[in-house]
Amino acid sequence: MTPARLAGAAALAVAAAVLPEVAGPFWMGLVTQMLVFGVLALSVDLLLGHAGLFSICHGSFFAVAAYTTALLEVRYAVATAVAAPAGLLAGTLLGLVFGLAVRTRGVYFILITIAFGYVVWGVAHRWSSFTGGDNGVTNVPFPAVAGVRIDSHTEYYYLVLVAVALVALGYGRVIRSPFGLALRGIKGSESRMRTLGYDSNRHLYAAFVLSAALASLAGVLYVYYNRFVNPVAASFPVSVEAALMAIIGGTGTILGPFIGSVIILGLRTWVSSFFELYAAIMGLVFIVAVLWVPEGLVGLAARVRGRGAPAGPGGAAG
Amino acid sequence: MTAAVEVTGLVKEFGGLRAVDGVSLSVPPGERRVLIGPNGAGKTTLFHCVTGTLAPTAGRVALFGGDVTRLPEHRRTALGMGRTFQISNVIADLTCRENLLLAAAGTDARKWVLHRRITAFEDLARTAQDNLARIGLEHRADEAVRRLSYGERRQLELALALTSRPRVLFLDEPCAGLSPSERARISRMIAGLPRDLTVLMIEHDMDVALGLADRVTVLHRGRVILEGSPGEVQTHPEVREVYFGHV
Repeated sequence: MTPARLAGAAALAVAAAVLPEVAGPFWMGLVTQMLVFGVLALSVDLLLGHAGLFSICHGSFFAVAAYTTALLEVRYAVATAVAAPAGLLAGTLLGLVFGLAVRTRGVYFILITIAFGYVVWGVAHRWSSFTGGDNGVTNVPFPAVAGVRIDSHTEYYYLVLVAVALVALGYGRVIRSPFGLALRGIKGSESRMRTLGYDSNRHLYAAFVLSAALASLAGVLYVYYNRFVNPVAASFPVSVEAALMAIIGGTGTILGPFIGSVIILGLRTWVSSFFELYAAIMGLVFIVAVLWVPEGLVGLAARVRGRGAPAGPGGAAG
Repeated sequence: MTAAVEVTGLVKEFGGLRAVDGVSLSVPPGERRVLIGPNGAGKTTLFHCVTGTLAPTAGRVALFGGDVTRLPEHRRTALGMGRTFQISNVIADLTCRENLLLAAAGTDARKWVLHRRITAFEDLARTAQDNLARIGLEHRADEAVRRLSYGERRQLELALALTSRPRVLFLDEPCAGLSPSERARISRMIAGLPRDLTVLMIEHDMDVALGLADRVTVLHRGRVILEGSPGEVQTHPEVREVYFGHV
């Protein structure tokens, strides 16, 4: 880590730590959401920015994890120590099934993930006797593990902050590992990687499951913050927005998806306060981003500094 | 002795076109075999079928006596096949070093490691470094491959294939599009390869081909029309006719 980057990371850590002192509950809630959706965007970007696969079903893992945890906590009064890991596991298991999509590439992969996403949304929406239908599952309690109970949004914010820090560290390791480099190799030239001895489908499948696990973590973090979950969590826009967060912030980086999450959620909060058709504004932002800043803001910053487009994690990432 | 590569009755059809039409050839270990033939003779298609990029319509491919006809490419690589492509196939967004690290890890179970930096594996790093030195690109190790010249990419392509420590190396026109000096450099590299490495090479340049070959196989319209020493091939009337037409 360069001194400048170290200083930046330290400043960010300090700012995050003292935020509750200066920000009210509304802003704390928004920042917590930004972090949680940043994790979701990061999970999508493991496939998009590293492996070159554009998945539009990550709302499914997110929602299945959130529903599992919520149902266990609320309906079956299961302890957090079981309910949270169970949510993680449920989303990951779904990833093992949906991961079969890696047998296809390109537009077929996109289409099949969209279809998968709609299946989950349909189940959440229609199987109302189990999922609560449109109302979803409400009154999810704050998490409590081994007698330690979180009982304010500020405390929960710190929990999410720690989780995000751990995720960023772990993710940084994975993308620099032989496995992570192989994913970028496959994105660059799958045929070359096969002749170098890589079973590209197996690598992509593993990446898909890993990415589903991370999306599930975001889902569990989300449900304890939000205190309820309904079919919106599994909807198409959630999956698309997660990908767009990564694109706007900068794919193939760690910071990018979080920056994208801050921009999109911030913009949505701001625009929707005075303009009903905020979705139209968001659409325009996406178009501008994809047409003029395809490398995302992190990539743009690197370009402005004259270092060229980020070559991945070695570039502007960590 | 078991052949390094044994191709029997290989056929590859694309729709109605028979690109490879019943080719059989046997290459003993350590031999340098050059495939020549006019454009469209089926040389690259034959390579694709032998290395597993394409599935043959019929026929059999064996590597050191073991049937590999139905094996996917990455399994064949693990068994000792290495190849270069006619059109440079290197990973342009990664650095030279990263390309070679991937090649070094490709036939190693450590390609699945998630929790350690790839550069922390000293033997892989050393293999990458040695192969970078072999093509004289140490000074550009950490530059993105997309900044390399065409000739440098061709050399990297060859280094990638060698880094996976093949027993049989397939080179698809390694000198295509190179300047005379680069051509000479690649030829020297190929000539300097260890003699126990079996090499099959497609080459259009007759001087390069005949200079490196132990034996030459001539393909024409998907069939083998001749196999022999470089001298025999050069003077054979049928080859002269295929290459130069009726005189």
